[in-house]
Amino acid sequence: MTKFLPLSQAVADNLNNGDTVAFEGFTHLIPTAAAHEAIRQGFKDLTLVRMTPDLIYDQMIGMGMARKAVFSYAGNPGVGLLRRLRDAVENGFPHALEIEEHSHAAMANAYEAGAAGLPCAIFRGYRGAELAQVNPNIKSVTCPFTGEVLAAVPSVRPDVTFIHAQKANKKGDVLVEGIIGIQKEAALAAKRAVVTVEEVVDNFDDLHPNLTVLPNWSVTAISVVPGGAHPSYAHGYYIRDNASYLEWDEIAADRDRFREWMQENVIEKSADDFAARVEHLRNVA
Amino acid sequence: MNKEMDLKAVVAQLRDGMTIGFGGWGPRRKPMALVREILRSDLKDLTLVAYGGPEIGMLCASGKVKKLIYGFVSLDAMPIEPYFRKAREAGAVEVSELDEGLLLLGLQAAGHKLPFAATRVGLGSDVMKYNPDFKTVKSPYGDGEVLLAMPAIKLDVALIHVSRADRLGNTQTDGPDPFFDGLFARAADKVFVTTEVLVDRIDAEYSDKAKSQLFERCFVSGVVKAPLGAHPTASHDAYGWDMAHLKDYAASATEEGGWQRYFDQYVKGDEASYAASVGGEAKIRALPLPIF
Repeated sequence: MTKFLPLSQAVADNLNNGDTVAFEGFTHLIPTAAAHEAIRQGFKDLTLVRMTPDLIYDQMIGMGMARKAVFSYAGNPGVGLLRRLRDAVENGFPHALEIEEHSHAAMANAYEAGAAGLPCAIFRGYRGAELAQVNPNIKSVTCPFTGEVLAAVPSVRPDVTFIHAQKANKKGDVLVEGIIGIQKEAALAAKRAVVTVEEVVDNFDDLHPNLTVLPNWSVTAISVVPGGAHPSYAHGYYIRDNASYLEWDEIAADRDRFREWMQENVIEKSADDFAARVEHLRNVA
Repeated sequence: MNKEMDLKAVVAQLRDGMTIGFGGWGPRRKPMALVREILRSDLKDLTLVAYGGPEIGMLCASGKVKKLIYGFVSLDAMPIEPYFRKAREAGAVEVSELDEGLLLLGLQAAGHKLPFAATRVGLGSDVMKYNPDFKTVKSPYGDGEVLLAMPAIKLDVALIHVSRADRLGNTQTDGPDPFFDGLFARAADKVFVTTEVLVDRIDAEYSDKAKSQLFERCFVSGVVKAPLGAHPTASHDAYGWDMAHLKDYAASATEEGGWQRYFDQYVKGDEASYAASVGGEAKIRALPLPIF
């Protein structure tokens, strides 16, 4: 049964020190509010999984919450590097970070395999690439019909996945539309799925079934956090705050400035502060 | 690019021995106008792939089938399709009898251009006993789990009925269930769709329904305007299935020379004479949609 909870309680109930956790989003619908709540609650030793670690993983790594990152693209999209992640990998600051690097196709397949309850994903990938030389988890399986050698990666089955979505209905079903990334698979692959949404509506009777809907039985908890994807965007609600991504490059470049920014904008704030951050981004054509 | 064709031109693209997949589900949104055009042709030795309904029974009845690959073949209210039952009981066709999940995975593997899909589906049942060409693979990780390797089901052609299409090959499909039409389209070398409504540019006239596109136009080789083309199966939101007609069809399977009677009475002419023979357009459009 899906629980509708304040975000602070949804995070406290579902995330633990040492968990493997995915905060998924693909440029669109990034669960920033959930990540900031996790930062405020100060979890440790997390294995952070995501196709595209961006600002929120840079922030969590910079705050010393991560033991390991499993990913396929680590960057500030459209801007450049993740400077806190880079500081952790190159200098062990604030502490060492183990990394497991994959291709996008591998990560997507790994989530899908996790959602299907399979031990691994088998797909056509890593041809002509050397990632397998630095990632021993990349193996192969030979097709028993054709003899073709296919790539294999372990499935991803997070302890908990956090995503942000447009809306839920009162039963706890969740709609994700626009660029849907791998959020559905990431939620289904996880033991627990926590969803922040822009709004809750009575029902989904007016929706075409050809939309990504997570059924309520796959969702552990839902928290209503308007603006919760800022500075990314929520299709149909608000546009992307590109200035924030540019600004992040300067903030994250300096250890002290990073700490100050986190104190002021995350530690001393709450989920309720997100709505105001997207006000100027609504109703923009 | 104008992909509009007529039924005859589509069937002229088909060859004896082809593997043909059908969209829809049981007595729902089947490309029956194209099925009837195949029935009027001399095609033979076909391998059919479907979540089957009357298209499978009719093509079996007319002796055009070499092999069936299916999750079920049903008319819903009549749980086992009558002519499929006759062919199956007589051993008249080869069969690969799958559960619905394996059929899905076989089509998905073909769409992903993979030779197989690894799955737990089918293990612990007799699927491998009755599909002796199926194999297993072993996880290369510490778990060492043995999984069923479902071979890709590659289709030469997929035939799919949609609600709306344009001449570029864009499609839209109404109704509460998209079935697995998207998987059929991606598993096929060529896709031919029949459509209730055909327009020049769907983006100009139905942009508000863009979310109901189930597969991209790059997969579509040909589009045929075939209003009422799913009859006697349902085509949301235009008309429901014609259960009275399906019962008459089912009854023919128990008659001596019943298939010939059905063919001569309904199929033999063209789609205009077909519509007239089943009561005309107004009657078909008034068929209520099945509600569950």
